[in-house]
Amino acid sequence: MSLVSLVKISGQKFEEAIVKSLKLIEYKLPKDARNIVIKPNLCYYLDWSTGHTTDPNFVGSLSIVLRQSISEDVTINVVESDASAMKCKYAFKMLGYEKMAQKFGVNLVNLSEDEFERTKTTVNGADLVFKTPSTIRNADLLINVSKMKYSRPSVKMTCALKNIFGCDPYPLKYRYHSMLSDVIVGLNKTMKFDLNIIDGNFVYGEGTRKIGLVMASQDIVALDSACAKIMGVSKGRVKYLRLAEKEGVGTSKFEARGVTIDHFASMYPRQGYLKTIKDQVFYYLAKFGLTSKLGID
Amino acid sequence: MKTIKIGLVGLGYMGKIHLRNSLRSKSIANVAACDVTAKGRKYAKSIGAKEVYTDYKEMLKDPDISGVVVSLPTYLHAECTELAAEAGKNVLLEKPLARSIAEGEKIVQTCRKNGVKLMLGYHFRFSPQFMQLKQSLDKGVFGEAQIAHATMVGPGPFFHRAEGYAPRPVPSWWFNKELTGGGALIDLGSHMIDLVQWYFGRIEEINAYVGHRFNLDFEDYALCVCKTKSGTVATVTVGWFSREASAKFEIFGSSKILSAKRVDSNKAVSLAKMILGLTPDFNLPYVWELQHFVDCIQNDKTPLSAGEDGLADLQAISLAYENATPIEESI
Repeated sequence: MSLVSLVKISGQKFEEAIVKSLKLIEYKLPKDARNIVIKPNLCYYLDWSTGHTTDPNFVGSLSIVLRQSISEDVTINVVESDASAMKCKYAFKMLGYEKMAQKFGVNLVNLSEDEFERTKTTVNGADLVFKTPSTIRNADLLINVSKMKYSRPSVKMTCALKNIFGCDPYPLKYRYHSMLSDVIVGLNKTMKFDLNIIDGNFVYGEGTRKIGLVMASQDIVALDSACAKIMGVSKGRVKYLRLAEKEGVGTSKFEARGVTIDHFASMYPRQGYLKTIKDQVFYYLAKFGLTSKLGID
Repeated sequence: MKTIKIGLVGLGYMGKIHLRNSLRSKSIANVAACDVTAKGRKYAKSIGAKEVYTDYKEMLKDPDISGVVVSLPTYLHAECTELAAEAGKNVLLEKPLARSIAEGEKIVQTCRKNGVKLMLGYHFRFSPQFMQLKQSLDKGVFGEAQIAHATMVGPGPFFHRAEGYAPRPVPSWWFNKELTGGGALIDLGSHMIDLVQWYFGRIEEINAYVGHRFNLDFEDYALCVCKTKSGTVATVTVGWFSREASAKFEIFGSSKILSAKRVDSNKAVSLAKMILGLTPDFNLPYVWELQHFVDCIQNDKTPLSAGEDGLADLQAISLAYENATPIEESI
């Protein structure tokens, strides 16, 4: 059984909440780490206050915690890659990451411009080959700082596991969408993160809510399972979560520590049935190109 | 009434709206469409455009085309509109008129010199709610219209675009101030400034605060205060930062307070209307705008939103930029 912590942020004191969340899962930051990677969740050009993207101040606060706990000399690389509809050069600027990097002395790395090595893995008995960026390969501590939000009907939710999708430097990611679950699991097998944190200050469900939550776990599957519970998503219906457990990425059995799951579940803006049906209809219309034909895209 | 042939240049977001409306118009017999992308041309063919072009200069050679709808990025407005005017075509040009006053003046002069009509794509002037306000003003129901608030906020060019199943990046020109002429103030502000001048006459003074929430070198929100010729003081608030969209105009008079807002379109209702062959509400002002353009060509009328109006709006916007105070932003 893996440990998952749930901490309520008081005010905007991210550092305090991060330290507490690590303590609850009995995680000690490795003193010898010198090269640290933080992977936030940047999605399109959506501001952190919408609940879609990691707050740059949260990442800045994490960098303070890392320097205080490990060493002032650590190198911190905040990484993201280009996506079908998002370019890092704009996202870093527009979402406040350039300002944050300057203020907290961290580097911003576009993984799509990084050197890489091809790595082979197996998912569901099939071979998959991914490009592993040098910045990730050379890091001695990998930290995943994702969001908690509903996603397209084919994957249902975006939390820690799905955030690693953004470590794949290949920019035309929509081409993966027909086999998204396999790719998410494959990438998580290839790039195993040491620590997974959820910036749940603002979350996105049926609209945006400020629920002031920080979660942490070393087990990415356990963390996503806890998120699913808060979001009201049956983990059995999330294909990549089932597959990740089957492939040994982690376990869905967890022990929650700190504030109860029910407390945050009652605050989460869960999606009603009507919205779910509407999303499904639009998803299939878009999939078959009908939204564009009808002029409603 | 004799039907006419229309040529469309540019099949981006607005171009596609005009294309669909042209194909459904009873006054338009034939539609030619031009786009530099194969995808755009394929789309035009698939929904019924008879002729498609890659180069609009070729399309302009067609003597049967009497009106051209230009929905190109702002930096291409001048060249395309001037060539169309020189080819004797009437032009419906998407807003803003141009990136600068000098460029705008040249467009207006070229159209005037060649005796063609130039209409700006100010669809709010064709929206019943906003037309109603104009009628109320003309009837004097406000007494004296002392204060007005114009607001237009939305996701701007940074909304999540998709073509069917595939996400589509924001076209790169939107990130280049040299190509757009500015940010939210010139893009959304041109609509609201146009309504202010349509309702209350020329803007004589204007001051602005401009914000850069997205840390780009152009504003993504702006708040302006302007004094108009009629004495009404209006605020114009625009922004590109919200996932939701809203456009509203409020007039506070000594006798009456009235407001107009854009009809929000429910996607499900729009879809149902599309399937039933009806025009969804959000699309109606664009349909009427195009119909007015065709009517102006057929009956030799002056467009309701003429090139000169677009130029006056550009002059007010340029003055707002000159007087703008930037707002300090934190992370």
